[in-house]
Amino acid sequence: MLKQTTATALAMALGAALTVVAVPAVAAADGEKCFGVALKGKNDCAGAGTSCAGSSKTDYQADAWKLVPTGTCEKTASKTSATGYGQLAAFKANSK
Amino acid sequence: MSSQQKFVAALLNAELPPPAGLLTWNGSDPAARFAVYRNNVQVSLVNALADTFPVTQALVGEAFFRAMAQLYVKAEPPRSRVLAFYGVSFARFIEQFPPAATVPYLADVARLEMQRVHAYHATDALALSADSIAQVLTDGENLPRLQIQFHPALSLLKSPYAVVSLWAAHQGIADISTIDPYTPETALVIRPQLEVEAIRLHASAGDFVAQLLQGATLGMAMEQTSRDHQDFDLTAILGLLIRSQTILSMHL
Repeated sequence: MLKQTTATALAMALGAALTVVAVPAVAAADGEKCFGVALKGKNDCAGAGTSCAGSSKTDYQADAWKLVPTGTCEKTASKTSATGYGQLAAFKANSK
Repeated sequence: MSSQQKFVAALLNAELPPPAGLLTWNGSDPAARFAVYRNNVQVSLVNALADTFPVTQALVGEAFFRAMAQLYVKAEPPRSRVLAFYGVSFARFIEQFPPAATVPYLADVARLEMQRVHAYHATDALALSADSIAQVLTDGENLPRLQIQFHPALSLLKSPYAVVSLWAAHQGIADISTIDPYTPETALVIRPQLEVEAIRLHASAGDFVAQLLQGATLGMAMEQTSRDHQDFDLTAILGLLIRSQTILSMHL
């Protein structure tokens, strides 16, 4: 019987928690990871397997990203990117 | 002892002679040159600790902190090349450092600062969306048997001292004159939106998260916490954990 009341209590609490969360969760999505736009040492993070913030070794490093407002990434100039702008995923830098 | 071990020993202890076989380019005294190098090594490590533990330093002052850090550097030189994590055992050292006994909360403040560094460098991980959690709810029967996998940046610090308030007071967030350092506090360290935060948890919420971290199921953690605390607010802590994007999975 205890199991049943626990399940009910958990379901109610989780349900209530979710309704409280609903609003801020939308605001939280306001930003995108942009690869290839951060200056040396100014990245927020980088691709898998590397250390994180402030770790990029070169300007516009192709596998280091910075959090930017949603929609602006692919409009931000990047000297290493084939498109000339930041990209939403890590890419291979131009060899120039 | 190998020549490298001898070199390291002399690097950390100014009373030992410099390692044998040192040469200088201009014929000056190798002992003097080695002393400069020894000093640079020690000062850079003390500086690294000062960078990682700024609030610990502020609480005791620079002179005390640097003297204590210097003894730590000698007792526990780095074991890894990653300087960011140097000082993992600093809190334990402070606990056993007699001159710091008059500031008993110092070690836990250092612990919190180290946990913040670990949170900062933790791997990225995608949290469950509110939609996916709502999906879990549709199978309510299984809810008590689920375990929670948390974001790697999340950690907990249960302290008999006001660690979160003391830390916050040094960021201009709280007024230090209003803080009683001897008030127990539990800190939840998280990294929502890439920003490290230390949040003060209600003691009951802290116990709940601690049990989940140890692998307890939701049902076990809830029942135990409700037994121990009359005032346990399950909705509040679940809301905080979801909102701060700490839940990676809920699984059987």
